[in-house]
Amino acid sequence: MAETPKKKSWWKSCLLLVVVLAVVGGAIGWYKFFREEPQPDWVTATPDMRFKYGSIGAEHDAGIPYWIFFVLPRMFPEKLPGPGGLASLGVAWEQGQELPIGFTKKVIGFPRVANNCASCHTTSYRKSPNENPVFVPTGPNHTLNLQAFFRFVVDCAKDPRFNADEIMREIALVYDLPLLDRMIYRYLLIPITKKRLLEREAQFKWVYHKDFPLWGRGRDDAMNLTKYFLLNWPMDDTLGPTDMPSVWNLQKYQPEKGMLMNLAGDSHDARSVIIDSALGLLSAAPHDREDFMGQIDWLVKYLGEKQAPKYPFPIKEDLGKSGKAVFDANCATCHASERTGTRVPVEEVGTDRERLKSWSKKAAIESNKVVRNFGIERKGLVENEPSGYIAAFLDGIWLRAPYLHNGSVPTLRDLLKPVAERPKVFYRGYDVYDSVNVGFVTEGPEAQRIGTKYDVSERSSGNQGHEYGVNLSAAEKDALIEYLKTL
Amino acid sequence: MAEQSAMTPLQKFLYRLGAIAAVVLVIAFLAGAWLLGRFGGDTAVAYQDDPEHFKYGSLGSEHEFGVPYWIWRALPELFQDKLPGARDGWQSVGFVFEKGKKLPVGMSQRRYLGFDVVWLNCAFCHAGTVRETAQSEAKVYSAMPANTFDFRAFMRFLFATGEDRRFTPPDILRQIKLIRQREGLGDLPLIDRLVLRFYGIYYMRERILALRDRLKFIAEQPEWGPGRVDTFNPLKAYFNFPPDKLAPEERIGTTDFPSIWNQGQRETLKMNLHWDGNNVSLEERNRSAAMGTGITPPTGDRPNLKRVAGWLRNLAAPPYPFAIDKARAAQGAPVYKKYCAECHGADGKDFRGEAVGKVVPIDDIGTDRRRLDSYTYDVAVNQNLIFAGYGEERFSHFRKTFGYANSPLDGVWLRAPYLHNGSVPTLRDLLDSSAQRPKTFYRGYDVYDQEKAGFVSDVAEEKGRKYFRYDTEEPGNSNKGHEGKRYGTELSSAEKDALVEYLKTF
Repeated sequence: MAETPKKKSWWKSCLLLVVVLAVVGGAIGWYKFFREEPQPDWVTATPDMRFKYGSIGAEHDAGIPYWIFFVLPRMFPEKLPGPGGLASLGVAWEQGQELPIGFTKKVIGFPRVANNCASCHTTSYRKSPNENPVFVPTGPNHTLNLQAFFRFVVDCAKDPRFNADEIMREIALVYDLPLLDRMIYRYLLIPITKKRLLEREAQFKWVYHKDFPLWGRGRDDAMNLTKYFLLNWPMDDTLGPTDMPSVWNLQKYQPEKGMLMNLAGDSHDARSVIIDSALGLLSAAPHDREDFMGQIDWLVKYLGEKQAPKYPFPIKEDLGKSGKAVFDANCATCHASERTGTRVPVEEVGTDRERLKSWSKKAAIESNKVVRNFGIERKGLVENEPSGYIAAFLDGIWLRAPYLHNGSVPTLRDLLKPVAERPKVFYRGYDVYDSVNVGFVTEGPEAQRIGTKYDVSERSSGNQGHEYGVNLSAAEKDALIEYLKTL
Repeated sequence: MAEQSAMTPLQKFLYRLGAIAAVVLVIAFLAGAWLLGRFGGDTAVAYQDDPEHFKYGSLGSEHEFGVPYWIWRALPELFQDKLPGARDGWQSVGFVFEKGKKLPVGMSQRRYLGFDVVWLNCAFCHAGTVRETAQSEAKVYSAMPANTFDFRAFMRFLFATGEDRRFTPPDILRQIKLIRQREGLGDLPLIDRLVLRFYGIYYMRERILALRDRLKFIAEQPEWGPGRVDTFNPLKAYFNFPPDKLAPEERIGTTDFPSIWNQGQRETLKMNLHWDGNNVSLEERNRSAAMGTGITPPTGDRPNLKRVAGWLRNLAAPPYPFAIDKARAAQGAPVYKKYCAECHGADGKDFRGEAVGKVVPIDDIGTDRRRLDSYTYDVAVNQNLIFAGYGEERFSHFRKTFGYANSPLDGVWLRAPYLHNGSVPTLRDLLDSSAQRPKTFYRGYDVYDQEKAGFVSDVAEEKGRKYFRYDTEEPGNSNKGHEGKRYGTELSSAEKDALVEYLKTF
């Protein structure tokens, strides 16, 4: 009898201890895994910086722990396309910056690395080989080997050397992690990251399709992420890698005039495209919907207003003026008219059709449903069968080489040649500019060493169609090209 | 009996067990404390005097690369046949030993993991020797280029030992015992021998061979010879870039060691540092160079490195120790002012000048472009990750350039051979056109050539020691460039002589 109060107080102390431990443990757990720290001020100092390095929230589900991300290129260089670590993937990496453009670092419990729009939508060029690159945010990243990047992280996870012992040893060479963080990395982050990346292999299986040619630098089989990842459809037999598009001056697209977006007019308006692309980067429903929609609003405004960069070489003004007349007579009907920004039937333009097959009305309807279920309202994807390609606006066309939706024609001068005379094999992704032909240098030892080989005979890579202006005289072509530089 | 032992057998057993456990615990605790005392701790041998600290102080490279002192002593004796000329111990690869010192200039010592371990500091590449004649005593100059040290011969020897079947605990421990007996010391303490026998020596061998594999690409480069190093290709190995995939033109980047005095003025004038001017931050450049000694971001000894950097900031170049013809030097002054000052500074003390520290495009300067091409944009951006996680220490100033940087000429008399790749033996030769400059000459000899200003470069061998034959035809070794009217190669012979005399005053 006398023991009862004693027992009770014993239980009480026990309970108290458990509660205290739970609270302390919970606080540590929250701090080490969920605490969100804002990115440093320099990231948001200017709109361009924010576009290049600002988080759009992808670190929550798609983020890789910073130190794992850090050591992967050093541990698995054989899985990269060449020497140079991450740089070999053609990422736009500014001198002095810790991470390439489009790679965001954010602390959510621990520092994580994820991506934003700028990874595919910042381009670079050099006026000569003896010069460092100029980076242009919102330009199409023609150097990025996205497929190689997707494969790289998964290939690393599949390697038996992706284990706590080897990764921790590599981290120890570069950073002295505090003991608790070392335990967290060893027992949680490394195994979890490995598991998540291995899951990606199944989710991203299209990047391993054995029978398909590689996309090469500057291209993405863009509808796959929606089709296979968002909708979880089984892999079909379509292949539609297309050029990364420029995303400047999006306000030119006026949906009320029937204009559509994406290369095949798959989407109604800029906001929808930005939402869908951002969701692809997040790899999940937004963690914080309100914050996500705030990011979207900012991007809609930034990308709406951002203008294409000026041509960086001298332009012969008089020649350009006479080129304007050639343009008005031959190109304006599609590229500077009511028709601009609307679909041109593929039968009419005659370019490669494969990209159209990679998307469908059914996919559009289902995707719209999924996004609606995330609680996101948008005009969304166009719910009809793809039937043609958008007549492009030509602002900043000088920096959007190679040309046509699949990037099958290296320069503007080549595009003005009949199909039979356009290059059949060339190299993409070398960043030295060719101001004579207007496009990038796609031949020569350096272009071959750095670039990826593009063969127009491969599936979905045909350079046929858009045989417009091919019969112009040489002088007219020169004038037209000069004018196009001014756009 | 029953009263005496109130304890049941079980209690007795538990009691004994408890007592034994207590004793074991105490012993374990004491053993733990002893082991911690014996193998814990991390203390570098310290030097009060700054110049001594430069020559022998630790930057922390022993943490990653430290060789137990006694193994360091044993290697050149056990593997004498692997040394250049199979003689002279560590001196044979060009290490400089001062009188009464067991360690060469450029090697520091630290007590770490229970051992006295040694490895390199700045001075192994940035301290050299000068002799007035073949008979005179060598004088050591700190912060001058290590004119006698053959980095590659050193590595080659180290790798050869790792590959040799004598690199075993019994052989090495026997050699250590011999040396210690010779010096009147007993054998190593048992615990040291045990650790070395069952772990240390195997581990060291493994590390040597791993390093050899990482640096394999060097074997395909033309011989560096003494006083030279490829600075940035080893960095690619550090990043683990596959060397066979590198562009052929970036695979050779051999250059002379530079002098490193008077760093402060270089910083103040915001000069582009390194031969190609790829970094404007002195502090970053220092840490980058310190990584060449073997420190890593977690293991560098920051206070010690800071101390060296501080000392170098205001260290003056040593004055020319031989006679200078003052009248002739005075005639050289206006020549210098007219031809050299814009790019190389007002004089040896005042580095101001319009183009000092600026990068001259490669086509203008015309010197060998291998070193320039060895440093690529991809290397520059990967360097942005070095010291990541350490706040402001992360590298952010490296830039790809497209030429070579103009350097001030402080202490230029000690910086021979000349040009970034050390392809021109003397100052006087540099004032001739490349066609007239020596096609081949010898490096690594430290007797001074007072007439031409540089080291005597025609001695192939002295007292059985061979010097390195430098061939300007080898890739990366071209002696072209820095020539033509504005570079002074068209001056009269008298003007050239006067200019050389004047440069001795720098």
